[in-house]
Amino acid sequence: MAKQVVPQLLRQHLANLADDDERISGRGQWQGRDVVLEVDCLYNADGSAKVVWGDTVVYVGVKFELKEPYSDRPTSGSLMCGADLRPVAHRKYEPGPPSPESIELGRVVDRGIRESGCIDMNALCIVPGESAWMVIIDIHVISDGGNIFDAAGLAAIAALRNATVPASRYDVGEDYKLAVALTPIICTFTRVGGRYVYDADEEEELGGAERLSITLGDNGSMHSMQKGLKGTFTAAELSEILDVCKTRCSELRDLVDSKVE
Amino acid sequence: MGGYGDVKLLNDDGSRLDGRAIDESRPVEVKVGVIPVADGSAWVKHGLNEAVCAVYGPMEAHPRKIQLQDQAVIDVRYNMAPFSTSDRIRPGFNRRSREISKVTAEAFASTVMVERYPRSKIRIEIEILSAEAGTRCVGITAASVALADAGIPMRGMIVGVASGKIEDTVVLDLDKAEDNYGQADLPMGIMPTTGEIAFMQMDGDLSMDELQQAIDYNFTAAAEIHDIMEAALRAHYDGGDE
Repeated sequence: MAKQVVPQLLRQHLANLADDDERISGRGQWQGRDVVLEVDCLYNADGSAKVVWGDTVVYVGVKFELKEPYSDRPTSGSLMCGADLRPVAHRKYEPGPPSPESIELGRVVDRGIRESGCIDMNALCIVPGESAWMVIIDIHVISDGGNIFDAAGLAAIAALRNATVPASRYDVGEDYKLAVALTPIICTFTRVGGRYVYDADEEEELGGAERLSITLGDNGSMHSMQKGLKGTFTAAELSEILDVCKTRCSELRDLVDSKVE
Repeated sequence: MGGYGDVKLLNDDGSRLDGRAIDESRPVEVKVGVIPVADGSAWVKHGLNEAVCAVYGPMEAHPRKIQLQDQAVIDVRYNMAPFSTSDRIRPGFNRRSREISKVTAEAFASTVMVERYPRSKIRIEIEILSAEAGTRCVGITAASVALADAGIPMRGMIVGVASGKIEDTVVLDLDKAEDNYGQADLPMGIMPTTGEIAFMQMDGDLSMDELQQAIDYNFTAAAEIHDIMEAALRAHYDGGDE
């Protein structure tokens, strides 16, 4: 990723706004941008979703492949979640092998889904020790207008919940809907002008500091956390964020529920 | 070209398996400004193919060794998303996407007024979201609209179109089955406003007469798709005239 110059004027402006409890976009401290979720939108994917989240646009496609199970888990299928921050998504992204930023995004989304246990890995097994489904989630960021973690996480779980196991294509029976028991949702908070805000946009990320991403499951339990970028935070700040996080996660879960039967 | 005539691709009444006439294109839809952070962008759906394109620039060309003293460098990346095909493709560049990127860049270097931007670079990023035969053409169409949206001066918009041969018959715009089991494919990038050809590839087996027929089909289709591109741009900027 190309190093971006952070204008000191922007930093100062964000700090001044924060002092007056304002944001550059006019939003409240914990107010998110409008989110539009579309599912089953990619012809060749086995499950798909598109999220337009402010100026951020993310597609997620789910594909299945038959693999030999790992020898230590002969009755278990597997899950892979990867992200590609390609140069299409912003002028700061450069071509080449996956950047550390891409890998972090893919792994944070992966952990939230994997650790929630929303997919029964044993149900993905066809013949123990011989063949099991591998679920592959590919995150394709088309436009990075800030907060790609939440947009990618939302698109990923929506695409999974919309996925069909292509058994007939592999001659192992009839196609069936992938069983997804839970809907883990990720929420990201960024320090902007000295305080935390929910759902930072492009300018806030450029002039902001560290971010905290938290994935909550249906029953409110936590499945993954990640602190990224330069900066530190206190336990008191974390606990304030978690209160906001609960509300926002359940709103976004309702959005997914409304789009997937 | 795959099967060479051993699969039936034409119905008894001469129509194609998907019901199209031999000189009928798949439907084309164009949207402008789909990538908010880009300087210009477009989305094109052509049959079941779907592509988005972002344009960034003109910007300073880095590293300096790629700079041209008297013109801009056109930097194209054509990439297929891992979920765009029925078997997942491993992410990253391969020989096919590198070749398509190269000839597409050369097509646009011939139509964009590159001499206006010495030492700079114009990035064209084509992402294929759904692939069902003819994605390089869809990418070219999307790139032309994205360049126009970015306000980059060019002599005209290139339209990506293809004709081919199935069961010894020349047809416009091959779909997946026709591409896999047909006898020839002729993708072209045509500028309908000037009548020039900026992009051409071909594989398979065509006689000189069949080639002429395929070129004629391509020119007719390019003019029609150009109208759709222009209408989408007008709708985006004027809010009407569609």
